[in-house]
Amino acid sequence: MTGPGTATDALDPLIHVPARLRIVATLAALPDGDALSFTRLQKMIGLTPGNLITHLRKLEDAGYLVTEKTGNGVASRTSVALSNRGRTALDAYTAALRDLLAGL
Amino acid sequence: MDETTTGDEGGEFDPKEAAKLLETTTRRAQRQLEFPSPLLALIQAGALLAAYGSIWLSVRGQNPYSGPSGAALVELYAFVAVAAVAVGLEARRARAGVSRRSSRQEWTRAVPFIAAFLSVYVLMGALRHDGFSFAIVYGILPAAGPLIVVGAAAAGYAAAREDLQMLALAVALVAVGAGSAFAGPSGVWAVTGVGFCAVLVCRAIAQVWLRRA
Repeated sequence: MTGPGTATDALDPLIHVPARLRIVATLAALPDGDALSFTRLQKMIGLTPGNLITHLRKLEDAGYLVTEKTGNGVASRTSVALSNRGRTALDAYTAALRDLLAGL
Repeated sequence: MDETTTGDEGGEFDPKEAAKLLETTTRRAQRQLEFPSPLLALIQAGALLAAYGSIWLSVRGQNPYSGPSGAALVELYAFVAVAAVAVGLEARRARAGVSRRSSRQEWTRAVPFIAAFLSVYVLMGALRHDGFSFAIVYGILPAAGPLIVVGAAAAGYAAAREDLQMLALAVALVAVGAGSAFAGPSGVWAVTGVGFCAVLVCRAIAQVWLRRA
């Protein structure tokens, strides 16, 4: 956990994690409203399915992502999209990171 | 690397490393999801140059102008097919696993472009019916017309979406189409081909440059 008063306090702790930063940055590259399948996202990021699910769940719980499952059984498909809240959070994170690095 | 344990809650994640990771991930994702890519623009540029070039080779020096030969038209459609296959493969690569907001919306967007493109050929038929010369009907109009009308439709679409890159490309195509008409019924094919190719090459360069900026 980040200690009180550290330089990284201004950074959203949900995004300031390597795996989750990669997930959010990758989804932000899609046009607004488009979604990416779980399989393609996993290939692009290179995480194991278990790890990816863990991080996606944390981001979804915070309202940063929207996941949608379509179909049943082997034909089922999960797609993931960045929500408006997630996009705003990434913008805020990027701005905070820029300010922090400018002050170093 | 176990990403759930390495700096899981960010405490040990250096902001400089975070900035670098954000930049590289964004660039990589944009490159993987980008459609059309700079490579596709270059393939299209080559195919279009060859297509228009084959027509120009068949009509240059014609006096009076009688239009492209059948073989040149076959070559034209062969190069157009090559470009279309490249577009299909590239779209498949970039859009694998991507679900769009609405495929119906995509089709609706395509309607003005298809209507503008087909209108050129309807106009050709009407002008021929009204007795206009081969030089106009099978020279200037089919070479410059599609660029002008499809470019204008694309410019309107890009302006509505505030897509400045596409707007610049569309306006450049309209300018190439309109300007090439001055080259006459034979020269219009060469000028259009070279101009179209140059615009696509510039687009590819701009895409690469913007990616690095």
